[in-house]
Amino acid sequence: MKKIVLVGKPNSGKSLLFNQLTGLRQKVANYPGVTVELKTGRFEQFELVDYPGAYSLSSLSRDEEIAVQKLQEAMQLPDTALVICNLDATRLESSLIFGLQVQALAKQQQKSVVFALNMADELARFGHELDTAALSKALGSPVFSISAKTLLGISDFRQALLELAAQAQPPIPSIDHGDEQALRTLSRSLSRQFGINASIVLKNQNRIDAFMLNSITGGFAFLLVMFLLFQSIFTLAAPLMDGVENGIAAFAHWVTGYIGEGRTSDFLNDAIFGGIGSFLVFVPQIMILTLIIGLLEDSGYLARAALICHRPLSYFGLSGRSFIPYLSGHACAIPAIMAARTIESPRKRLITMMTIPLMACSARLPVYALLISVLIPEQSYLGGIVNLQGIAFFGLYLMGIVIALIVSFMLSTFVIREDAKSDMPFILELPNYRLPHWKPLFVRVMASAKSFVYRSGPVIFAVTVLIWLLGYFPTDAGGLQNSYLGQIGHFIEPIFSPLGLDWRYGVAILMSFLAREVFVGALGTLFGIDGADENIAGLAANIQADGLAFGAGFGLLLFYVVALQCVATVATIRAETGSKRIAAGLVIGYGLLAYLLAFLAANLF
Amino acid sequence: MSIQTLWDAPKRTTVRVTELVAGLNPLVVNRLREMGLEPGQLLESFGRGPFNGPVVVQIQDCVYTLEQQIAQQILITPQP
Repeated sequence: MKKIVLVGKPNSGKSLLFNQLTGLRQKVANYPGVTVELKTGRFEQFELVDYPGAYSLSSLSRDEEIAVQKLQEAMQLPDTALVICNLDATRLESSLIFGLQVQALAKQQQKSVVFALNMADELARFGHELDTAALSKALGSPVFSISAKTLLGISDFRQALLELAAQAQPPIPSIDHGDEQALRTLSRSLSRQFGINASIVLKNQNRIDAFMLNSITGGFAFLLVMFLLFQSIFTLAAPLMDGVENGIAAFAHWVTGYIGEGRTSDFLNDAIFGGIGSFLVFVPQIMILTLIIGLLEDSGYLARAALICHRPLSYFGLSGRSFIPYLSGHACAIPAIMAARTIESPRKRLITMMTIPLMACSARLPVYALLISVLIPEQSYLGGIVNLQGIAFFGLYLMGIVIALIVSFMLSTFVIREDAKSDMPFILELPNYRLPHWKPLFVRVMASAKSFVYRSGPVIFAVTVLIWLLGYFPTDAGGLQNSYLGQIGHFIEPIFSPLGLDWRYGVAILMSFLAREVFVGALGTLFGIDGADENIAGLAANIQADGLAFGAGFGLLLFYVVALQCVATVATIRAETGSKRIAAGLVIGYGLLAYLLAFLAANLF
Repeated sequence: MSIQTLWDAPKRTTVRVTELVAGLNPLVVNRLREMGLEPGQLLESFGRGPFNGPVVVQIQDCVYTLEQQIAQQILITPQP
């Protein structure tokens, strides 16, 4: 199938154009979030490939480097029929510098280029019309004025694309490109001739920024946004998560009703449905966080947030750009680690990636929920405004962030050497404030759910089934204590007794090193509760009755705040850092730190 | 005519770039030039961000933010 390549700078409406051309028939290469991966979709009989946004063909950060490298590869392929360069029509000068670079590269490789001047609707609102015919002539490539948002000019554009791409030899750019200086001069003169006056376009943005970037009002706005974000985890996600749990429990009940009592029923209920339930329950939270972060990003606010955070985060060896991965790490560490590709400094990128696993990801929530139910009374003060359990949750989230900052500081000061010469500085474009369009958001949210299920589902499911099997057999031995699980548990008990924990906790902790989600289910199996995931209150009551000491419980909580218990995360870190040593080092390092904290808590409280 | 760096440029003033200090990473210089930051270029300074953060500047048709380390390497003169 012949390919059409879509390139453009960030914030130029490229994603929306891609969505409009492929009609949601697309596939994200790996993990969504900040676009750091290729997206492919079907446009009529062609394969349309969307490249991550880059500011220039001379890359500064890793994500740009990958995008440019892949673009160069695509330009060399014979089945690449056409290149669409998407530009922001309201910012012609800065757009054309990039556009001309792309055009020069395409001409070198004998590829045809089409310019899509996007956001024509905004241009129209300012009362400006683009002379596309004259601009086409001046650029030596066809130019189309479109709006991916309002679909203005899209049908003509689609038609033209099909005609051009179908040709055996589409026309290559006709102008000559000089050096960098010549390209800049050309962009300037073309934008003066055809573009809109910058001050008209930037007026609104600068006015809003006077508020958003003021230390007092901007700081307040930032805290408000963060508060709303974290509130959403509990108020929006929690009922949805309950819904998923109840739905699965009901379905399981119905199915096993048909089969009747016995081993198969137990297996289905606890292992299969329990296993599926234990990872499906996280999907709502991941989707909601992806949605909110997507809204913040597409509206243009996230760039301001990165600016506000840059100075504070720099003290810890991080960049303002570390803020976004840290934020997404609260849904799931994997897309967050990949989003770190946008961090300009390789050193800061590494430190960010290494500390993302400390963020309270969705998988930690059920563990926190269980242990908080056990340890903290359900008490409210001030008429329900101050809730002890709620504060405990908030405290745990905060602890993850604080420990991450401390570890970053340590890594930055003692471990990862400063190499000022090759380090990249923080340069960020502040895009226009825009109302996000639902299509790219919808695609991203669905993709985040899908990739989580495909990536983590199999591991969690396998481990849950394994725990069930080990706990069930041998059936003639007499109970859990003598099952294979029990035997393993007694063997490793000496490791966990200094933490005030018995063999059942030991086994659950060990198993959850593969995926921390299984902790609750595993503990449920070990306490002899069926369907513990659906009945946290029941399990909590059992644990309390069993007599877990406060210090030991608190230590267990601290253990889960720090320990790196996720095979998928370790694999991602290994892939992104290219180092097995770093990945292994993190598991061991965080594991030891977790053990130390748990030990101190168990013995001091 | 006083010579200052972009880091010290006051809020809401038009300034002209006089020089990019030698010793800057060539990749960075290249990116700055692409952004339009070269000697002779006029730009609008909005001062430092919140909490003494990176400076905000308007160059041509875009608004950028540059951290202190970079802003201190860009020499400017205010345009009255």
